[in-house]
Amino acid sequence: MSTSSTQTPDLIPPEALEQVGTVVATRTGAVDQREWQRWAVAVGDHNPLWFDADHARAHGYDDVIAPPLYVQYAVLGVTRLDELRPDGSSGASSGNLAFPAAPKRMAGGESTTFHAPCYHRDEITMERRVESIVQKQGRSGAFVLVTWRTTYTNPRAEWVAEATTSMIARP
Amino acid sequence: MTQLHFEDVAEGDEVTPLTVTPDATQLFFFSAATYNGHRIHYDRTWAVDVEGYPDVLVHGPLQSALLARAVTDWIGGHGRLVSFSAQNRAVAHPGQELTFGGRVTGVRLADGRGLVDLELAGRRGEDVLMPGSATVELPLRGEA
Repeated sequence: MSTSSTQTPDLIPPEALEQVGTVVATRTGAVDQREWQRWAVAVGDHNPLWFDADHARAHGYDDVIAPPLYVQYAVLGVTRLDELRPDGSSGASSGNLAFPAAPKRMAGGESTTFHAPCYHRDEITMERRVESIVQKQGRSGAFVLVTWRTTYTNPRAEWVAEATTSMIARP
Repeated sequence: MTQLHFEDVAEGDEVTPLTVTPDATQLFFFSAATYNGHRIHYDRTWAVDVEGYPDVLVHGPLQSALLARAVTDWIGGHGRLVSFSAQNRAVAHPGQELTFGGRVTGVRLADGRGLVDLELAGRRGEDVLMPGSATVELPLRGEA
């Protein structure tokens, strides 16, 4: 935060800062073929590795596999409708970090390393930590940048993926 | 589709571009498939009056999924996505034509694996909405 700026609003409440470095979500969820296929068709991604077991086997896999970017959604929990934020979003998998002075949220970016494929009914365990919460000054004003570090492992105790994701919150 | 091999690619080669014009139906299905209730993707009144956008927004994760799709389409069934990253730099709205693609920035053999580094971008016309990068593994000739 700049010391030269006289009126930089403080967008980060202390309760949010206290979560930096802590595990804010741990979840286990089953990867489901029908759900990843729904995701794939929503993307228009008709890659036969996600749909055709014979094709997948001919390419060295045991069965159809989940699209690599789908895995992050397999572990999502549910949120009661009366507990959603006013903008309809759910904070369940991100630690319910609240930024009352910066309510406009959007995805920042993602960076993922993939280690092993996911098969139907694999139980994936996700562990997510808050890596950092910083206030920045952009062209259109101050914003909050939240970065999470997330790991995914499968029932064979293999690393499936490791991801760094971020979110931007604006006043 | 013929399989792309490590020996086939060189620095500067293009990832076959993918052009998509997301519409409201696609945004709806992507919200549903990702359990995303965020109103900026389907509630035009909320997007315009509350958040000040000209229209609802195409999901950043849909754009990154399209960018990854361009890569996995290009590398074929024997190729493997090793790592992928993408940053949301600007918003896109339904009805806008978006192009996803990239270019080879490096090729290297590591422990007998053929690795290819890619610089990626999701674009609307000349504007880069989503810069990204990826590393993929391609089979060596004779392997697959």
